[in-house]
Amino acid sequence: MKKSCFLLIVVAFVCSSQNKQVLYGFNEIPQNLLINPGAEVNNDWYVGVPLLSHIHANVGYSGLSPYDLFAKDGRDFNSKLRDIVYSMDNKDVFAINQQLEILSGGFAYGNGYEKDKYLSFGLYEELDVFVYFPKDYAILAYEGNYNNINRKFNLGDLNVSGELISVFHIGYNKKVNKKLTIGTRGKIYSSIININSTRNRGEFITIPGTENFYRHIFNLGLEARTSGLSSLINDDNSEVSNDISTIKKRILFGGNLGLGIDIGFTYKFKNNLVLDASIQDIGFIRHKKDVENYSLRGRYEFEGINPLFSGSNGEQTAQEYWDEIADQYDNLFELKESNEAYTTWRPLKLNAAIKYTFGGNNKEECDCKSNSNDYNNALGAQLFLINRSKQPQMALTAFYYKRLFKQLRLKTTYTIDSYSRYNIGLGLSAHLGNVNFYVMTDNLLKFQNLAEAQSLSLQVGFNYIFTKNENK
Amino acid sequence: MLKKAIILTVCCFVSFSCVKNIDFDQAEGVVLTPTLESSLLFFEEPAITFVDNSGAEISTITDSVIIEIFSDEFVKDNLQKAILQFEGTNSINRSFEARVEFLDVLDELQHTLTFIVAPSVSNDEVITESIETFEGVSLEALKETNKLFLTLTMLPSADGSTLDSNSIGTLNFRSKGTFFFNINTSE
Repeated sequence: MKKSCFLLIVVAFVCSSQNKQVLYGFNEIPQNLLINPGAEVNNDWYVGVPLLSHIHANVGYSGLSPYDLFAKDGRDFNSKLRDIVYSMDNKDVFAINQQLEILSGGFAYGNGYEKDKYLSFGLYEELDVFVYFPKDYAILAYEGNYNNINRKFNLGDLNVSGELISVFHIGYNKKVNKKLTIGTRGKIYSSIININSTRNRGEFITIPGTENFYRHIFNLGLEARTSGLSSLINDDNSEVSNDISTIKKRILFGGNLGLGIDIGFTYKFKNNLVLDASIQDIGFIRHKKDVENYSLRGRYEFEGINPLFSGSNGEQTAQEYWDEIADQYDNLFELKESNEAYTTWRPLKLNAAIKYTFGGNNKEECDCKSNSNDYNNALGAQLFLINRSKQPQMALTAFYYKRLFKQLRLKTTYTIDSYSRYNIGLGLSAHLGNVNFYVMTDNLLKFQNLAEAQSLSLQVGFNYIFTKNENK
Repeated sequence: MLKKAIILTVCCFVSFSCVKNIDFDQAEGVVLTPTLESSLLFFEEPAITFVDNSGAEISTITDSVIIEIFSDEFVKDNLQKAILQFEGTNSINRSFEARVEFLDVLDELQHTLTFIVAPSVSNDEVITESIETFEGVSLEALKETNKLFLTLTMLPSADGSTLDSNSIGTLNFRSKGTFFFNINTSE
């Protein structure tokens, strides 16, 4: 148990966005339907091996790699850290995305000779953490306001979101005609834990004062919202097992619930030219249970303490003056708590690809039923977009797909995104009888030293797939 | 069969990939050295502040304020040096002595800081500056400080003249502190 935990941690850490560029378009892997519900389906039915049908981990950090910071190069750690802090900006991100499919399955149905409809369903867990680098906070921590008079420290640089959810889904896929396949997937989200602080505003600035050397202006509009967290942290019992049973309940619709849909299609211009696209997670989660929100709001300007020399005019003393300031100050920095319900939107994802296929096989067989799904090679380009709190992230991928023999299919990708300009990925899908095993990863060029990679992703899974027409 | 495949896959990944020349222990002891500047005391007193209702001079005025920030745990642990800067802008034809006494929680004197503001014979603004650096013993005294006691004394004039209710001019007093921190997260 301990060993497997350790392995999981290693995989989660080492295998460093949510882009599944290798898996997308891999039609013979059933989990492709989770990225595009309108993908072409080739099997008659499938069932995923519970807990092993789709394990996905992805870590990305723009602006640095662990190697930059932790390399054994004799350089002073603090000077390396300082260099990195100063080279990064408030658009740089740290992202973790992890998914674990708990159950999944699907089957084809329909009245015609060829079953033209496909129903798929499942339950998966997803962890998504997205943190922007809080540049101005870092500069303030490094330098203070000295030498930064008139500099606005933007408090909006604090932008953090994290969620742990379970998703129950049912997808419907229909082959409309030889050219067009469409699909949609309905989702029920159950939020286990949600933390988000993405709408911060305000600034801290020191300017020359009118009555004293400086005027310090605090303009605070900070807010953090959480759900599912306080009951886990604040409960009286320290028994981890109780927390685990709470989490288990939340996985099965016991958390804060939400709804969402995915939509997608595949369109064949010609037999060998295919366009497909999907939008995932058009949806929201309403956080009502176990909500704890914190806010810091207000404006305060300070030029110092003005002793009024009560001895002379008998009015206010410096102490009273200071007490008033201290009260205002304390009020400003007093965290206000609330339990107000809130809504979060899931990060919207768009995938699109254009694919050219060539080199068909099994020419000796009758081709009358086939829609020419049989090809040995495919070349194409993919676009991935994901909506994030400050700005969308984009990735462009060129890919080559090769069917080596019936049992083995490979796909290699070259991706440019905000993390790197030379990310090569590789995926393979093996089909041994009815057993399907797939594994895919990216940033292969960095495999000699993973610490140099700025992002890594890994997907592994096992399925049982049944196809009557084995040629498909 | 499945188990074998998993083990094989994991082995493949482990053998192809590795993490080289990395030492995570370096992260112990991140050092931050921010320098904070803050306005401190300020006041503006016209000449008539130093004249009472009967027309006689008031030579000394005092005030005090409890300030707990200097003895705050964070400051005690991390403050390396402090520089306090005082500036008097005087257009009153008298010189003044400003004295700031730093008292601890028991009201015992820890440190005294005195500076003389020069007179303005022509009632034009005369600026006097004083800078005091707190290091070593004086820094420790500052970290014990819980109360500031401020005494402003008008010094006798050279020619024996006195202020009355028609005297003009003001005394402007400004001050700021520059606080040098060294924060080591491993401590």
